[in-house]
Formats: sequence, structure tokens, C-alpha cells
Amino acid sequence: MEKRNKILNIEGIQTYYGVSHVIQGLSMYVENQEAVSILGRNGVGKTTTLRTIMGLTPPRGGSIHINGVDTTKAPPHKISKLGVAYVPAERHIFPGLSVEENLMMAARPGKGKDPWTLEKVCDHFPVLADRTKQDGSTLSGGEQQMLAIGRALISNPEIIIMDEPSQGLSPLLVQMITDVVLKFCISSGITMLIVEQNYRMALKVASRHYLMGTKGKIVKIASTKELMEDPEIIQSHLSV
Amino acid sequence: MGGTIGIIVDISLNSLVLSGVFLIVAIGLNIIYGLSRIMNMGHGALYAVGAYTGYTLVATGFNYFVALVIAPIIVGGIGLLIERTIIAPMRKRSMVYTLILTYGLMFFLDGMIKYVWGNKPCFIDLPAFMQGTLSILGTQYPIFRLVTLFLIAGIMGGLMLFLNKTKVGLILRASSTIPEMVSCLGINMSYVHMGAFVLGCIMAAMAGIIAGPLTTIDPLMGSEMLISSFVVIVIGGLGSLRGAVLAALLIGFVQTLAEFFITDLAMVIVYVLMAVILAFMPRGILGEGKFE
Ligand SMILES: Nc1ncnc2c1ncn2[C@@H]1O[C@H](COP(=O)(O)OP(=O)(O)O)[C@@H](O)[C@H]1O
Ligand SMILES: [Mg+2]
Repeated sequence: MEKRNKILNIEGIQTYYGVSHVIQGLSMYVENQEAVSILGRNGVGKTTTLRTIMGLTPPRGGSIHINGVDTTKAPPHKISKLGVAYVPAERHIFPGLSVEENLMMAARPGKGKDPWTLEKVCDHFPVLADRTKQDGSTLSGGEQQMLAIGRALISNPEIIIMDEPSQGLSPLLVQMITDVVLKFCISSGITMLIVEQNYRMALKVASRHYLMGTKGKIVKIASTKELMEDPEIIQSHLSV
Repeated sequence: MGGTIGIIVDISLNSLVLSGVFLIVAIGLNIIYGLSRIMNMGHGALYAVGAYTGYTLVATGFNYFVALVIAPIIVGGIGLLIERTIIAPMRKRSMVYTLILTYGLMFFLDGMIKYVWGNKPCFIDLPAFMQGTLSILGTQYPIFRLVTLFLIAGIMGGLMLFLNKTKVGLILRASSTIPEMVSCLGINMSYVHMGAFVLGCIMAAMAGIIAGPLTTIDPLMGSEMLISSFVVIVIGGLGSLRGAVLAALLIGFVQTLAEFFITDLAMVIVYVLMAVILAFMPRGILGEGKFE
């Protein structure tokens, strides 16, 4: 049996905003083609963890390896080029750029036999196909989330890190986003690291979960099966 | 009656030409600031270097229009050198550092101009067809000024095409909004900053060589233009294109009037206007400025 390698491996990172010590020794890993979630209450450091992986707020201690490459001090563009796509909670759709231009900013040739291209994104995301010339920032929240995911896919990444995709969306839209993530990211073999406060969505998409307490401390690691069988685990670990 | 209309035509066209030059210089300054938060105090000097380089090219036998292409390329190269050697290493520091740095750059470039070209004013020899006048509504209007108007329109059109239709233009536009996300898409922001600086220098140089024949080329032209383009971007709102167009038209008109009636009072009014806008409308006359 092929041993699954750790596509993302984080060891004891320490991240600061100025003098404020936000992540105090976080270790975690994501294996190739695995879908992992980070669950935790507001302000514990989930976004900061993703920003640290992405090179936006580099850690002052610890190490991060992506596919075996030490990226602890690497800038965001180098990390992106290693096949990491970032879908931030704010979506960060470029205002003044059309939907198509937002996608073209990220487009990169893929290695597989059916790589993501502008045509493929339009085929699979009808809401975007109808609006290719429209200013991306004028889309609705759900459409912007679709665009942010489409923009991640079109870079043909190995791993997508996604920050609270369900944030601010109606239950119907959360369902649509969940389906999109399951169908285009997870089923097609893209490794996922997803941050959520919507635990139901996280249980649907990820198979292993890191429960994060204050200052980025991992209080529990659990499989979806464990969390489904005993919903109390989330309650007991994530409430104060 | 014809005389009055003639004067109006003269003033209108002259102020359009001047506004166009202000606009091109100011947009260059705006592009650099908008993408890398550097207020380039050396921008006026680069405009002057563009004019002098154009002068030398024409004086050594190049066609004016060929010089119009080559001079900006040379100044773009100088800009590239400046950016890589002194600006890029300072980028992570606070704005005060780059402000002082580019202030020094201004003195350095002004000194180089005096060293290479001397203190005497220079004049660009225009091609024969541009030397006559054309009769428009009762005034004999210099042809080279009309050609200049077309050149300004061409440069602005070219810039819009570049920004809207090329991949580099796309990256520059995205970078002026959410630079952090651009870097997460695999683009090295250091090159974006470099590209913005070089583009700004090219714009300054193009403005310099088209402005050359309008005024005399002298060592003071750079600092005068720096002040005018500051006024334009402050009144227009930092980072606002439409604001810059409006402000350039305003300043061009006022300065033309001032020159026509040989009075400096008009410019005083402009500075008062700038002060008022700075105090009460930090985002410019249209309120569109991206930064305060
Ligand atoms: N730019 C910042 N500067 C200073 N502190 C910040 C900044 N961003 C977040 N924080 C603080 O860091 C902690 C973790 O924030 P964050 O990672 O956004 O949490 P989460 O995503 O889990 O809600 C919070 O206490 C927050 O107040
Ligand atoms: Mg967050």
C-alpha cells in the first residue's frame, strides 16, 4: 500500500501580530488528497493559521513544509507556486475587474488530463458563465464565493485552503457551496484544509478535524465518524 | 468679434494641451503611488530628463516622432535602474524614508541635467510640417500644438489599452486594489512595484518630450511640473483617474489664463483651492481618491 505523504506539515508555529502572540505552538498536518477542517470559536486563530501557511503572516518560530519544501519563511507568491490556492473569508474578489479577469489573474496550466480552464469554470459554474463581463465585486455574496472557488480551481492547485466559505450565506447557498466543494475539490483529488464555524458543513466535507482552542492550541483531533457518534465532543471542547 | 472668438479658441486649445501634459505626468505619479505607496519626488526631474533626452536625440538627427519613442524607453531604463538599486531595498520602510530618498533623487537628477546639458535653455527642432499655423475660427493656431493634442490623446488611449487589454495591465489593476491577494495568486509584488515605477517614468518622459516644444527646456522645468502634478493629484484625489482628468483640465485652464494675462494671481487661487480641498475633501473633488 502506498504510504500517504504529508502534503502540508506544520510543527510548533508561533505567530504574532506585532507584540500580540496569537498562535502559540500549533502543530498539524494534512495528507495528500485528504480533507481536513479546523473548527473553533471566533478569534482563536483559525484565519491567522491559514495566513501563516500562505506566507502572509510568517511565523517567528516553528516550521512549515509543503510537499517536503520548507516554506516557513517563503513569501506568498512562492507558496502559491508550490500548488497552494487560498480562498480567504473576505473572498477578495478584485473590484474593477470583470469575473473573467478575476479568473484570468489566477489561471495556470494544469498537469492532469482535464485541467481547469476558463471554459471549464464557465461550464461548471453557470452563475459565473452568465456574468463573465460583469465587475466581480458587484456579484452577490454567494456568487462571489463561487468566483473565489473558481479562481482557486483555475490555478490547478494541489491543495486549497479555504476560510469559512459558508460565512454570511443563506442555508441554501451553504448547501450549494458544500456541493461545489465536494464535487470539484474533494472528489477530484484536491487536498483541502478548510476552516469553518458551521460544523455541519465541516463534517460533510472533511474527514479529520482539528478542534482549536484559544491562541491556536489544538484541544482535540477527531474523525468525522467520532464527531457524528458523539456530538458532545464539539460542545465540550469548543465552548468556554 | 472674430478677435474675441480667436482669443477664446487660443485659450481653450492652449489649456487643453497644457492639461494633457499635466494629466500624463500626474497619472504617472498616481500609478507609482497607487501601487507602491511611494510619492516620487524625482518624478518632475524624470520628466525633465525625458525632455532633454528627446532634445538630444532630435539634435543628433533623429526624427521627432522616433525620439518620442526612444526617449521614454531610455528614461524607462533609467527608472528601472533607480528602482532596483535604491527604491526596492527601501520599500519595507515607512513612507518618510522613500520620500526623503526620492527627494535626494530629484537633486541628483537635477544636478546630472546641469552637468550634461548645462544651464542654458534648449529648443527642440520640429519637423517642417509642424512649424506652420492653421487658421481656426479667426486665429492662426500653431500646427505643432494640434499635433501635441493628438499625441496626448494617443498616449492616453494607449495607456488605457495597455491597462485593460494586457496581462501586465490586468495585474497592475488588480494590484491597485488587493495587493495581498495578488501575491497569493503567485505574482511577485516586487516585480509589480518595479513595473509601476518604470511605467510612471515612461509616462513622465513622454510628457517631457511632448511638452518640450511648448515651453523651453530648462533645468527648472522639472520642479515646476512636480508641483503642478502634485496639485493635480491632490485636487483630483489620490488614485482617482476621473478626478485627475478634471483637475488637470482645471489647472491647465487656470495656468493658461495666468500666462495669457501675465498674472500670477490665478496660480495663487489654484493653491488656495488645493489647500481648501486638502483640508475639507481629502479624497479630492470627486471624493473618489483611494487614499487620504
Ligand atoms: N491584523 C491583526 N492585528 C492584531 N491582532 C489581530 C489581527 N488579526 C487578528 N488579530 C487577533 O488575533 C486573534 C486571532 O484572530 P483570527 O485568526 O482572525 O481568529 P479566527 O479566524 O479564529 O476568528 C484574535 O484575537 C484577533 O483579535
Ligand atoms: Mg477567521
